Amino acid sequence: MRAKSPIARAAVHAILLAGSALFLFPLLWMISTSLKPVEETMLNPPRWIPSALHFENYLKAVTYGSTTLGYIPFVEYGKNTLLLCVLVVSGTVISNALIAYGFARLQWPGRNALFGVTLATMMVPFPVLMVPMFVLFRHLGWVGTFRPLWIPAWFGSAFNIFLLRQFFLTIPRELSDAAVVDGCSEFQVFRQIILPLSRPALAVVALFSFLYTWNDFIGPLIYLSDQRMFTLSLGLQFYQSQAGGTEWHLLMAAATMVVVPIIILFFFTQRTFIQGIALTGIKG
Amino acid sequence: MLIRISKLLAVAVLLATMCVGFVRHPGRAADDGRVHIRYWEKWTGFEAEAMRRVVDTFNRSQDHIFVDMLTISGVDEKLLLATAGGVPPDVVGLWSSNLSSFADRQVLLPLDDSLKRNHISREDYIPAYWDLCQYRGHMYALPTTPGSLALHWNKKLFREAGLDPERPPRTLEELDQYAERLTKRDQRGHLEQAGFMPNEPGWWNFSWGYYFGGALWDGKNRITTDCPENIRGYQWVRTYSKRYGVGSLELFRSGFGNFSSPQNAFLSGRVAMEIQGVWMGNFISKYAPGMEWGAAPFPYPADRPDLAQVAYVECDTISIPVGAKHPQEAFEFIRFVNSQPGMELLCLGQRKHTPLARVSKGFLAKHPNPYIQVFIDVAKRPRPFSAPKTPIGMEYVSEMDAAFDEIWLGTRSAADSLGRVRQRMQGKLDRQLEAIARREGRGGAEEGRQP
Amino acid sequence: MTRLGRRQLWAGLAFISPWLIGLGVFMLYPVVASLYYSFCDYSVLERAHPVGVANYRDLLHDQLYLKSLLNTLFYAALSIPLGLMLALALALLLNSGVRGLTVYRTIFFLPALMPMVALAVLWLWIFNGEYGVLNVFLARLGIHAPGWLTDPSWSKPALVLLSLWGMGQAMVIFLAGLQDVPVHLYEAADLDGASWWSKLRHVTLPMISPVLLFNGIMGIIGSLQFFAVPYIMTPNGQPARSAYFYAMYLYDNAFRYLRMGYASAMAWILFLLILALTLLSLRLASRYVHYEAG
Repeated sequence: MRAKSPIARAAVHAILLAGSALFLFPLLWMISTSLKPVEETMLNPPRWIPSALHFENYLKAVTYGSTTLGYIPFVEYGKNTLLLCVLVVSGTVISNALIAYGFARLQWPGRNALFGVTLATMMVPFPVLMVPMFVLFRHLGWVGTFRPLWIPAWFGSAFNIFLLRQFFLTIPRELSDAAVVDGCSEFQVFRQIILPLSRPALAVVALFSFLYTWNDFIGPLIYLSDQRMFTLSLGLQFYQSQAGGTEWHLLMAAATMVVVPIIILFFFTQRTFIQGIALTGIKG
Repeated sequence: MLIRISKLLAVAVLLATMCVGFVRHPGRAADDGRVHIRYWEKWTGFEAEAMRRVVDTFNRSQDHIFVDMLTISGVDEKLLLATAGGVPPDVVGLWSSNLSSFADRQVLLPLDDSLKRNHISREDYIPAYWDLCQYRGHMYALPTTPGSLALHWNKKLFREAGLDPERPPRTLEELDQYAERLTKRDQRGHLEQAGFMPNEPGWWNFSWGYYFGGALWDGKNRITTDCPENIRGYQWVRTYSKRYGVGSLELFRSGFGNFSSPQNAFLSGRVAMEIQGVWMGNFISKYAPGMEWGAAPFPYPADRPDLAQVAYVECDTISIPVGAKHPQEAFEFIRFVNSQPGMELLCLGQRKHTPLARVSKGFLAKHPNPYIQVFIDVAKRPRPFSAPKTPIGMEYVSEMDAAFDEIWLGTRSAADSLGRVRQRMQGKLDRQLEAIARREGRGGAEEGRQP
Repeated sequence: MTRLGRRQLWAGLAFISPWLIGLGVFMLYPVVASLYYSFCDYSVLERAHPVGVANYRDLLHDQLYLKSLLNTLFYAALSIPLGLMLALALALLLNSGVRGLTVYRTIFFLPALMPMVALAVLWLWIFNGEYGVLNVFLARLGIHAPGWLTDPSWSKPALVLLSLWGMGQAMVIFLAGLQDVPVHLYEAADLDGASWWSKLRHVTLPMISPVLLFNGIMGIIGSLQFFAVPYIMTPNGQPARSAYFYAMYLYDNAFRYLRMGYASAMAWILFLLILALTLLSLRLASRYVHYEAG
């Protein structure tokens, strides 16, 4: 529906502007708090703009929280998170592309039934899987390492299989048929025909799994015990003292650092993101 | 050509990353001929420093064991995850309130045999602390640093309110009166200074009934959350939130700064009297060095002078988790920590008293906490109590926190709230006792794994 | 089977082989195992001991369990409809041809991308009773705000408010759905002299009903498993267990009290609940949802 009259348009603009301000405000407030000296964080009425920009809060948050918090190796956390992201994204893209190809472009008995089962598994909530997976990893001796957090990603996930299969189905049969006639094996068809045409869908899968890993909290919570191996999500907790009270300026600085990479990533990949989300919603 | 190289590079990078992701393991030990044992402890800051000095002394004093100490936040939760996951540390520092649940879930190794072999027994300790480490007749830990509580007060604020700074309240009724005089509001009616707040610091919300002669269970199989003394105790707690207004108090509390900083509620003079432990003197000298303060045993109800013998004790403990790779070496370290020199080094560093029965003269003489004798006397009282040592201990304490909230906020009456806790916890306790009976009926085949 | 057929069979199995492991090891085994555990007393450190339906029976009488379930349903009942309405409203506004669509869309979508943990600590700060910015705003408007996270009647609404801030994903999906609505339908409606409300009810909503269904189901699945945010903002469900959610009690039972059997029973009830609600939604959908042919 298009807003026709200029009054309607102005009204829409006004609402959107107000809404944007409300939505943006918490983020701006986070940045503002992160640049304040500790005395200015606890003020009522609050100070909107810090008297001076204390960029060293960021340094403090990253290198050494405070004597009470002990050493918070924030950079380590960033490295660990990045490591996991790389492993999970590559595993997700590679495994799910292969699997979706098997479901979409090949005919074999039992295919549809198996795909139905795959779809059904999307309904299983994580808590059902949580305990047995923990027991499994315990038997393997993988608790306390990174392995439970990335190795399963190399074995497919129902949601991504579904997404990629839908996309693969839209690629015209003639292209792959022609390649087969030319003597290509299935794998060659996959690599040389389907993959190049699927960049947008693959990009979406990569982006989503990156986000998921960057933000993952409960996985690292359960499986990581050595603090030096923590991820950013888990590490953020440390700025909240166990004994009570929080150093808000440092916590906001750390939170900003965790959030900024995502914002930057989003600005560069906006189109793909939006397309991807639309894909999931429309086809789902 | 370039594309081919970049593809190969990408694959190589991926493989390298996979190697790192696969191999990365917590704490790869150095290869120096020693047995490396991992020690998880809760302390940070100067408290951690004190323990580190003990660890260093131990590492230097012999050459076949090396202790690697790690500060772990939420060490009790992490220990459960690690032990259940099959990768526990060799030594772990917990709180005495964790022991009963952990021992019951077979998370910790019983130490009886090693203690007997090394001639360590109850006589070596202030009895209350030894007893804290026992569960169903076995020892599952040794104490590290002890804790007993006392009422701390701000002498300057006393003076300002016209109270004698050298005379703390002796009965709870006096405490209430003092609190009244020590409470100030600003022009907006907001609290500026509170005389006393039962939920500051709020670490012992389950304990209020004990000061009135109550108990949380009968020591065997009955949960007694809503016995009359407990109800009385929590009704007394409620008088504080009623008198000063829950809204005002919560608003006031939201503004408290970090505990370990000059913005601490007590250190910054926002709260005039606070129940705290022996470690508080340390924090005061670190963050509020000029403060004039005092410590005295916590008051008792005027009509029950016999309760002046009641005292809350707790301690930090050191244990060996089930599944530890080097239990023998772990025990050697624990023994060192519990030796008189080791213990005094640690406790002096944390400015606490020691849990040992024997104390060197120098220890008391050079102790920086001027009120240390108060804490020692409190620990030696004939009626000590601690967090209930039920098999469902941790859950029970958690429930009491929630009940405290309800009572404090006035959403439920003390009798109602405590009654509900009793009902729930009795059910859980019954289940757990069944499981224990089943386990012990199996001939204790799963026990007997001792260092 | 023809030679082509056989080649496709082998190729097919080869391509999906990772999933055979993934499905078997990481999905089917856990599902079966957790069902088994739900009938046992299991602490991981000891062998699983079958106890029949004791776990399920205990759950029905467990007041804390019922409280966590009610809290979760309350949260879902508020956050899903409100979130959908807000997302749809914003999507409608964005779809009306305003300039700067991409900028607005970015602003509204951004919070949905961020790590929940970072959002949780940020809003912990915003909701702070003494220094929190929210209460300052409300005070300026003359509203005497509650303590939010320290007030048991307001802790859940506070969390709902936070969830509304993160409705960006649903909004983007709605927007895509709106853009797919054939323009000629609106033109026809205009010819009939329909008001905007009428157009909304008779053209827009039916046309985007599949999207509405999708977002609704996603909302159900997500809100029933609400964990990370309350774990950080209202640990133990404080105050007074008012913000104690299903997944939190599940986690506590599994990893704090080492009652894996009990936790597995909770997990299965959750699973059945999600299935039931999803089936219910689909049934309602078959009556109301309109799929454009072709």
